Amino acid sequence: MRIPMPRSRSASRLMPVNVKHATTEMRPAGLSRHQLTRQCRCANCFMPPHLLQKLLESKDKDIREAALNTLLSSSRLRGERMARAAFFSAAAPANGRRTIFDLHNSTRLSSATAARTEDGSPSGDDAVNRAFEGLGTTREFYREVFDRNSLDDKGMRLEAYVHYDTDYDNAFWDGREMKFGDGDGVLFTDFTKSVDVIAHELTHGVTQFTAGLDYRNQSGALNESISDVFGSLVKQWSRKQTAEEADWLIGTEIFTPEIAGDALRSMKAPGQAYNSDVLGKDPQPDNMNRYAQLPDTDAGDHGGVHINSGIPNKAFYLTAIRIGGYAWEAPGHIWYESLKASNPTTEFQDFADTTYAKAGELYGPGGIEQQAVLGAWREVGIRVSAGPVAVAVGARRPGVRVAASSVQEADRLAALTRQIDDLSTQMKALVKEVSGLKAASRRQAA
Amino acid sequence: MKVSLATHGGHLAGYHLSRPAQIVNAKSLPKDAGDELARLVEEAKATPASGDTRSDLARDAMSYTITIENGDPPVVLVQSDATMSPEFVALRNWIRTHAASK
Repeated sequence: MRIPMPRSRSASRLMPVNVKHATTEMRPAGLSRHQLTRQCRCANCFMPPHLLQKLLESKDKDIREAALNTLLSSSRLRGERMARAAFFSAAAPANGRRTIFDLHNSTRLSSATAARTEDGSPSGDDAVNRAFEGLGTTREFYREVFDRNSLDDKGMRLEAYVHYDTDYDNAFWDGREMKFGDGDGVLFTDFTKSVDVIAHELTHGVTQFTAGLDYRNQSGALNESISDVFGSLVKQWSRKQTAEEADWLIGTEIFTPEIAGDALRSMKAPGQAYNSDVLGKDPQPDNMNRYAQLPDTDAGDHGGVHINSGIPNKAFYLTAIRIGGYAWEAPGHIWYESLKASNPTTEFQDFADTTYAKAGELYGPGGIEQQAVLGAWREVGIRVSAGPVAVAVGARRPGVRVAASSVQEADRLAALTRQIDDLSTQMKALVKEVSGLKAASRRQAA
Repeated sequence: MKVSLATHGGHLAGYHLSRPAQIVNAKSLPKDAGDELARLVEEAKATPASGDTRSDLARDAMSYTITIENGDPPVVLVQSDATMSPEFVALRNWIRTHAASK
């Protein structure tokens, strides 16, 4: 997996680093943390533990912090390699092979005919080809950026149905595949025209196989936001746009020319995606003080999952703009790791705390990334409750609240070192358990 | 008999929140149309939504509430894109067509 390395003060943009060749090279003592650089070099280079320990005890604060960052990164990378080795002999993946079906404006799957397969020729139907390409772009995004093999990370096949229903102004994920409408021709056109909408729907699948966020109230709005975040990232990645260059709009291509609307939603400016006599005004809030209290019913959009998603959407946009560069790098990885660390009942506050913790874990406590996350959530009305010392992996630890100003630096380093030791112990236990399960499985099969 | 159709959810959830229901009053219909409506209503009432266990995993699916007022307590049918029966779809489409034509 590509891990974007923390931004050096002298670097103008985050650069992805291939884990297989990752190493951390440190300059001799005496140089400040800002002057340290990180390069991709030989596959097996790493800091000798005894030297790393010596640097951790240095009188120079910058040297100690840099050594600590190295230790954190190395421990996490070792854990990932160990986990991958344990799962190496899992079932061979299907690699997300695509099939597009034509529903011929019916809602019954029995009416569908196969229109294009993974190895088949392009169709004469543009909607079929757009869906095919959109599924492929999304699949490649998850593979290249997050090393994720399709939606379930096991190569799940990707299937989509076009020409669903009549005058259908929508697209949806049904738990197994996605369906696209052609639009009514008055308000909307074909929903296959927006790659971010395609990626939005497929990302519901990713969420289904990771956090499983309940589709109601705040967890549901978070579910929707995650799909908008990664839907937008797929679009930006396919166009190689920076956060500054992106439009941060969802579904710009599906409106008919007669409609005065920019998009279905705006992550940059929730509430301003559209405003017309026909559609009315975009009802999304951009701050918790405008959170829409809606009933958890069909009529209430299950507590406003498509409405209140504007709040975490804005938080991601602000995080991406403040970090700068490509939003799928540091911001995307922070959000992806946070998604994997979440659970069905995760709400906005929980998720904000997790993104803060993950930013610190991935890029170092107090870094630009963590500060960007902190400020972004604050601006949408959510104060991160975890202090700068809390860098829990997995679900956040509730009730841990540390005021940075009151913690002595020696205590902080000791606490972090203990956490790293705990992580290593847990990872070893996990690998041992998985190996045992595999051995038992082989004995049963034999 | 009076039938109404309300649409919810999906990518246009915000738009649907503020839209009034589409209503058709059978009293204003020609006899043939009235008979057709009555038939569609009975068929939709008799055919429940599919029991697809994946329906709770549907995301961005739209749902539809059809309310049938016919002298007795109203009958309310709610089905979604993930579960709609063909009979429900037929009634939904009929209401859309006849409500729009007024």
